[in-house]
Amino acid sequence: MINKIITLARKELKDAARDKRSVMAGLYYAIGTPLVMCGLFMVLIGQLTSPEDIKITINNQDYAPDLVRYLGNEGVLHGEADDPDIKEITLTISEDYPAQMAKGQQAVVILQADKSNEKLQKSIRRLEQNLQSYSMEVGSLRLIARGIDPRVVQPIKLKVEDQSTATSRGGVILGLAIFTMIYAVFISGMNLAIDTSAGERERNSLALLLSHPVSTRELVISKIIAVSVFALLGLALILLVSKFAYTLVPWQELGFSINISPEFMLAMLLVGIPVALMAASLQIFVSFMAKTFKEAQSYLTIVLIVPLGISMMATYEIAPDTLQWLPVSGQQQAMMALVKGREIPMLQLLVSSATTLFIALVMALGLERMLKSEKVVFGL
Amino acid sequence: MISVNDLYKRIGDVQALDGLSFTAEDGQITGLLGPNGAGKTTCLRTVFGLLKPDSGSAEVEGINVAVSPQEAKQQLGLFPDPFGLYERLTPREYISFFAELNGLNRKEAKAAAEKVIHDLRLDDIADRRCKGFSQGQRMKTALAQAIVHRPRNIILDEPTRGLDVMSTRVLRGMLKDLRDQGHCVLFSSHVMQEVAALCDQVIVMANGKVVATGSPAELCAQTGHDSLEEAFIQLIGTDEGIAA
Repeated sequence: MINKIITLARKELKDAARDKRSVMAGLYYAIGTPLVMCGLFMVLIGQLTSPEDIKITINNQDYAPDLVRYLGNEGVLHGEADDPDIKEITLTISEDYPAQMAKGQQAVVILQADKSNEKLQKSIRRLEQNLQSYSMEVGSLRLIARGIDPRVVQPIKLKVEDQSTATSRGGVILGLAIFTMIYAVFISGMNLAIDTSAGERERNSLALLLSHPVSTRELVISKIIAVSVFALLGLALILLVSKFAYTLVPWQELGFSINISPEFMLAMLLVGIPVALMAASLQIFVSFMAKTFKEAQSYLTIVLIVPLGISMMATYEIAPDTLQWLPVSGQQQAMMALVKGREIPMLQLLVSSATTLFIALVMALGLERMLKSEKVVFGL
Repeated sequence: MISVNDLYKRIGDVQALDGLSFTAEDGQITGLLGPNGAGKTTCLRTVFGLLKPDSGSAEVEGINVAVSPQEAKQQLGLFPDPFGLYERLTPREYISFFAELNGLNRKEAKAAAEKVIHDLRLDDIADRRCKGFSQGQRMKTALAQAIVHRPRNIILDEPTRGLDVMSTRVLRGMLKDLRDQGHCVLFSSHVMQEVAALCDQVIVMANGKVVATGSPAELCAQTGHDSLEEAFIQLIGTDEGIAA
């Protein structure tokens, strides 16, 4: 039995390795995704750390040269009407602004913008904050001029102590990165799963295989092994590419570092094995249910949404207490804990891995039964 | 030896096999002759345990296929219709893969593949991938797959379809050699000439039943016609679905 499984699995892998479509699907994803993520993180970090200048229309600048200078230092500038980058925000300084300022009264500044425009909301909020702090500053000066301690009008001083460590702050971002890795297991083996099931039947080699002294159990095991091997190769590849790609992102600007260590890679591969087995058996099962190659492709696309959804929920911490026991999300949360330097929830990881293996086993047994059915073998 | 006893099989609304019984002896070429849709392929698939009969049994070397399929299949080689080649493998890889599936170890399988490649004169294409092969090259590869593990019994489903004259002659030569070596060769066909030229025994099938059995000469005598074709038409009562 072992010999036959080895023979069958070797044939599957040799056949698959020569199938451009199967190999490319995994390759594109494993190499492309970390690079895309990298680009994304770089843009994100750039925006977080150095907010770019915004240009708005400031009317009557001459009335409040000090305010305009202050805004300019904060990156809010006046732009000419023909400037392509100009935002549709108008700040008008009232005509009696200088007089009222001089008298120590409230001076009026008018901010005109469409607040329902989502693209502007961030800029509007920023401008409002800038104006607020300028107002506070001038207010404090006025109090000092009158011999009053400005702290009198600030009864509460808020002190925020951030307890996140450098690595835990990168957690959400790394959660996303881990999600792309787990997903690689599902993507990399998918084409092979279709090719080895619906494809094999369509090429009429399935009936020929079964007419040789091979049991359906041997056939199912060898197919699951072949697809899992492809899935794990995809995972290994994405880990390698990530290791190098993520060093290009200027993490230090966020005050933490993300390092894909060899320990993490090894843990990820180990945790990935049950996931790969489940993904393989699930994909082969669904492909055999479909009548044709094309049908299998569309079914599998739908099936892929399930791990995607679960994984997304784990990334955004929706119902984390339930999700940590479930397949895919359980493993993802354990890996996130590992990355954040927290203790790995071993019990949860074991339960979710056991559930994962259980699903794989049920699918494999279902497949074994299925291949005994003439309807499935001949696609009747 | 392959024997089929009182097989019944219903597929959908069609009674594909309707009490089919026959025996194919060792050292003989037995032709399963019948019009399209007579149940030939269904019958062969049942012998391989790919289809389960509603009742009745199929035996290979006295082993019941439904009871011990692995042992029974070990005694069989199949030349299928359609071929079911792996387009991305070379004939050498393809043939030794099936040899290994039949219990040969890697080394034996390689040697067996080498021998059958030589016997079938496949040397020039043995290391090219099957994609883009001509019908004749595909036929030879599929045939090599069927006989590489030297099974006692060889079953061929419509073996000469789509073959040119040269390939057909090669195939016929191969089948006669196999018979002379004492193998049991069973093939299905709806081509009259082929059956007349090759078979020691002809089993005429129609609507899932055996209509007549005997050598081509016996069938002619039985019906009082000179040619097998006339005899055949008389036996099945129509000339629909037959190629001359």
